[in-house]
Amino acid sequence: MAFSIYDFTSFNQAIDKALYNALPPVWALIVEMTIIGLVFLLFYALVGLFLVYAERKVCAFMQNRVGPNRVGPYGIFQTIADFIKLLMKELITIKNSDKLLFNLAPFIVIIASFMAIAAIPFGKGLHAIDFDIGILYVIAVSSLGVVGILLAGWSSNNKYSLIGAMRSGAQIVSYELSVGLSLLTIIILAGTMQFSQIVEGQATGWFIFKGHIPAFIAFVMFLIASTAETNRGPFDLAEAESELTAGFHTEYSGIKFAFFFLAEYMNMFIVASIAATVFLGGWMPFHVGGWSGFNHIMDFIPPFIWYLGKTAFVIFLMMWFKWTFPRLRIDQLLNLEWKYLLPINLVNILVMAFIVLMGWHF
Amino acid sequence: MNTIIALTVLGVAILFLGILKKNSWLLPTILAGIPIVLILTITGWDTNRHYFNDMLIVDNYAVTFNSVMIFSTFLIFMFAGKYYHLVQRSLDDIYAIVIFALVGCVLMTSYGNLIMLFLGIETLSIALYILAGSHKESITSNEATLKYFLLGSFLSGFLLFGIALIYGASGTFNLDGINSYVINHASHLPPIFKAGLFLMIIGLAFKIAIVPFHFWAPDVYEGTPTLVSAFMVTVVKTASIIALFRLFSTSFSAVKELWEPTLAILAVLTILVGNFTGLYQTNLKRMLAYSSISHSGYMMLAVIAFSHSSANTLLFYAFAYSVATILAFGVLILVREAKGNDLFTSFRGLAKRNPVEAFSLSVAMLSLTGIPPLAGFFAKYYLFFTVMDKGYLWLMIIAIVGSAVSAVYYFKPVISMYLEEGQEFDLKAGVAYRMSLLFLAILTVLTGVLPFFLINLI
Amino acid sequence: MITRYLFYFLSILALYSAIMMLISRRQIHSVLYLTLAFFAIGGHYILLNAQFLAVVHIIVYAGAIMVLFLFTVMLLNLNTEQKSPKKMSAKIGAIVSGGMLMIVLIAILRTYDISMTHDPDLTQIGLIKNLGKVLYEDYLLPFEISSVLFLTAMVGAVLLGKKEQI
Repeated sequence: MAFSIYDFTSFNQAIDKALYNALPPVWALIVEMTIIGLVFLLFYALVGLFLVYAERKVCAFMQNRVGPNRVGPYGIFQTIADFIKLLMKELITIKNSDKLLFNLAPFIVIIASFMAIAAIPFGKGLHAIDFDIGILYVIAVSSLGVVGILLAGWSSNNKYSLIGAMRSGAQIVSYELSVGLSLLTIIILAGTMQFSQIVEGQATGWFIFKGHIPAFIAFVMFLIASTAETNRGPFDLAEAESELTAGFHTEYSGIKFAFFFLAEYMNMFIVASIAATVFLGGWMPFHVGGWSGFNHIMDFIPPFIWYLGKTAFVIFLMMWFKWTFPRLRIDQLLNLEWKYLLPINLVNILVMAFIVLMGWHF
Repeated sequence: MNTIIALTVLGVAILFLGILKKNSWLLPTILAGIPIVLILTITGWDTNRHYFNDMLIVDNYAVTFNSVMIFSTFLIFMFAGKYYHLVQRSLDDIYAIVIFALVGCVLMTSYGNLIMLFLGIETLSIALYILAGSHKESITSNEATLKYFLLGSFLSGFLLFGIALIYGASGTFNLDGINSYVINHASHLPPIFKAGLFLMIIGLAFKIAIVPFHFWAPDVYEGTPTLVSAFMVTVVKTASIIALFRLFSTSFSAVKELWEPTLAILAVLTILVGNFTGLYQTNLKRMLAYSSISHSGYMMLAVIAFSHSSANTLLFYAFAYSVATILAFGVLILVREAKGNDLFTSFRGLAKRNPVEAFSLSVAMLSLTGIPPLAGFFAKYYLFFTVMDKGYLWLMIIAIVGSAVSAVYYFKPVISMYLEEGQEFDLKAGVAYRMSLLFLAILTVLTGVLPFFLINLI
Repeated sequence: MITRYLFYFLSILALYSAIMMLISRRQIHSVLYLTLAFFAIGGHYILLNAQFLAVVHIIVYAGAIMVLFLFTVMLLNLNTEQKSPKKMSAKIGAIVSGGMLMIVLIAILRTYDISMTHDPDLTQIGLIKNLGKVLYEDYLLPFEISSVLFLTAMVGAVLLGKKEQI
């Protein structure tokens, strides 16, 4: 194999073996989980910091501004400074609010995004857990964040928060369907729900190319629906600042606000990762049939660079949406899902099933 | 299988007619479609086919009962035009849901697997929850649907738990598989199986409205739109009884001593409570609700006296009961519309200006009481005969006492119509409506005079 | 060994949250405890190696249905702590009958011989591939017929939700 130097499977297995030889199984498991947890925590923080910076720069670029440029070269330490400021702020607790739920809500949101990221493969052998039903698992746990959002809006005891939470609930429950169905189109093509196998299946070509038009339609659907599911872009009704102050997190301050903020960017990252993994080949290098020299050079780029590059591309697309399109109204939003995306998706699945059945895909 | 496919297609066609705004085509399509379904059902006669690993069994037993239920639905739809004639909006959704409920009923008669039984019951129940609440502005309709929904979904849990326990013991959902398990383990059935059996009895008893699981029934039947009540007390009741009958006759017949006392006590309670409470009712619809409870008690007797002939008895009874009850509901719809209520006092002097309606209601009431030569008499006669034949003298005596008591309340509207003086009024039923009533009345008489077509059918 | 501890943990969690769901005064806490109970049961599915069922359980119950519950509770604005309107006699009756059912079921399950239906080949049944085969071969008809059930429910939801009166 050309990219065996980047294969982490044997490396992981070696660590696993060493731990289980040295420790009783319960402790070995706990140590492994701790290591993975720490790695993800670090990764989380880094990605969060980077994404916030990227968003501000992209936004500035779209609006013909410079963006943050004071703290550090090109302003790259601006996010860190902001983060420290958020940490120092006072945690406001509101009178007449449901204290338990008010404090619980940010954690639910952040746990949901943590759980989702566990299943995503960053490279060969580089995933925390490789479920038999990986895609379904990600859909399941990423839908849990809405519980946190609803609770945040409810327990704040504030009209703006409640309206924002309700909007967000209606939006996420609706758009979850389209996310699931557009991924299902590719599951039909791939014949598996396991992320590692989906990526392996794209060794000869990414699914967006393999599946002709239906796969491309599914990709577009997924982008739209997942943008809506993460409460971003033109679909950020839950926190529409011009009408609802800040929506469901109006009453939050300090680190609890930071949690919501971070979770939003992480959800965007997760969604982009799924799009990159399922449609754009994940960590698979870009190959062109017949050009063996070109393919060979591509193989030397490490898989996680491929993965991060593709994810960054999708994230850039989503930021582009956000700063280009005006915000939708709630009825337009629901109409878009139930009257357009859902029927198109259903037909698309039928077409894809037909293509797979006839063997017309590559 | 043909029946299910045809009915589903009919239901979907109704929905499409609704989308195309062809409101005047809805009833004609149904009234033309149901006979076609009926014919398709009857073509299954003597084929005895098993579909998809015994999931669905179309034997003569299923064919006859399906035919009775489909025919009853046809009769109910004959009254639909009049019942909904003031409604402006399209009724495609209500009609389609009735048809889908009928699909659930068909599943309940022809299942060969407990999963299919549960699916049938759920399809039926969900359709009924909706239909019960379809009069959105009426508070009684809202009360009916909420009561029915809360209790129904709770009791579905019992049924499902029972199915799960039986699966845990026998390892199969198949009726024949359970039967062979029961035969092999008849002497040492595990307690888990027995518990499952009794939980299933509870779940099914609720759907049939057997005492003491009947508390929902009078309120729900009264609050539900009258046309839907007619469907509930006839077609749905038949389907539930038959589901129970098929389950016990196929799967549990080898351990009859286990469930027989329970069912016998339930049947006796149902007959007594249904009839004696019926005495205290002051309006026809609620009285018919109690009447339906007591009749389900009689039909339970056929399940207890399980033999080859009891299927026949049950068929005849279900047919006679359905036709008479639908007839009574046909008149009830008219009176409710004219008078705004259905108290017995509202029936005073009905016979003067509306002889056809009064005659029809009288025939229905007499048939439900069991007066010869009407269909109800022979239904009860064969039923009691079957029970007697099997040596259940005490059950028969109680059933006869119950029948005698029921005569008192069945005669109340008849006496009001013919003997009591009241304000004269015209029910303004159309010719077609009168013809339908008359047709049903004649059908009741004919079935009574010539019972031999039906009695040896299966 | 680990699975046994996990089993006890999940069982206690499920029981605790189910009981707390019943006795919580605030409806919204009840809803949350119910979510927790669903998660614990989802964990049990994973212990049984039924990953697909576990995830579907979480999507359907913890995801969709709980969100609808939360929605309803919020829309009806049920934030007040409510006293149960039931009479004391009704409460005692419910407790006695429920307790009797529980005792009977415990007695029955105690005598249940687990080896009776234990099939070592079945540990893989919960994986999506095997589940799909069972669903589309043995249980094809129920799977298809359930579409009638869902169509009914959908039409009914529209019927009850529409503004126009009958």
